Amino acid sequence: MEETELVRRAQSGDFDAFTELINAHKAQIYGLALKLSGNEQDAEDIVQDTFLRAIDKIDQFRLESAFGTWLYRIALNQARALFNKRRQGELGPIEDYLPPGHELSAGDPSLSARLALYDWKDPEKLFEAEELRTTIDRLIAELPYLYREAFVLRYIEELPVKEVAESIGESEAATKSRILRARLALREQLARIFEDRHERKMP
Amino acid sequence: MSGKCPEYVNELNDYLDGGLDTETCAQIEKHLGACENCRILIDTLRKTVSLCRGGKKEALPPALETRLNDLLKAHWERKFGRRPS
Repeated sequence: MEETELVRRAQSGDFDAFTELINAHKAQIYGLALKLSGNEQDAEDIVQDTFLRAIDKIDQFRLESAFGTWLYRIALNQARALFNKRRQGELGPIEDYLPPGHELSAGDPSLSARLALYDWKDPEKLFEAEELRTTIDRLIAELPYLYREAFVLRYIEELPVKEVAESIGESEAATKSRILRARLALREQLARIFEDRHERKMP
Repeated sequence: MSGKCPEYVNELNDYLDGGLDTETCAQIEKHLGACENCRILIDTLRKTVSLCRGGKKEALPPALETRLNDLLKAHWERKFGRRPS
């Protein structure tokens, strides 16, 4: 059955039509919720709240977008509502994550070496795949929500910056800054963890 | 000067994700050729995203499916005043 017809039936009270609409998107919504929240408990709450909200608002859905897009937006709002209630940390300004200027160390090899960034090449050689995955997922989950949301939408959900900006209700410039700070912060934490492991494995 | 690299911080996002004009790209690349820390920064920023992307898709937990089904039915009934079959 066509989506339009399913929506029409759902709006007139046909629960089976609604279930069919939901079923086509529930895996995607759960995946999004898991990435945004970083844990199963919150992801389940987001999914549940999303579908309940979809029932509340089904009669307001005017087919201006695909049903999946509409549901996706509800899920983003529910995730944000959940994390808005919790205290979130802040990330530092972009400059905090940048290496010291090369002109500072030029001509002084020992200073240069001390200021050098750790160049991680193959973290896969330092970690078992599962441990690496768990570490990365934990670091993403530890980002303050507003940064995590922007990062996840941009790089994991792979939305263009413009769409991320629309989804989170910020200007493109503010969105880019948020995405970059998240990326820099993650990079720095990964570098610390990889360097530490590298030194312990190959002192 | 803040004493920090890179000088091209405002263009960093666009450089990493594509979307910069070739002239600015060439300037940045010239800098990367001369500044080891910036080369490492760019490399590892790229790897950060590729590592984050590698997650696997998780299916809905069966317990959630069951709970959802009951919950949504009850909510539907409250809204439409009739019990779904």
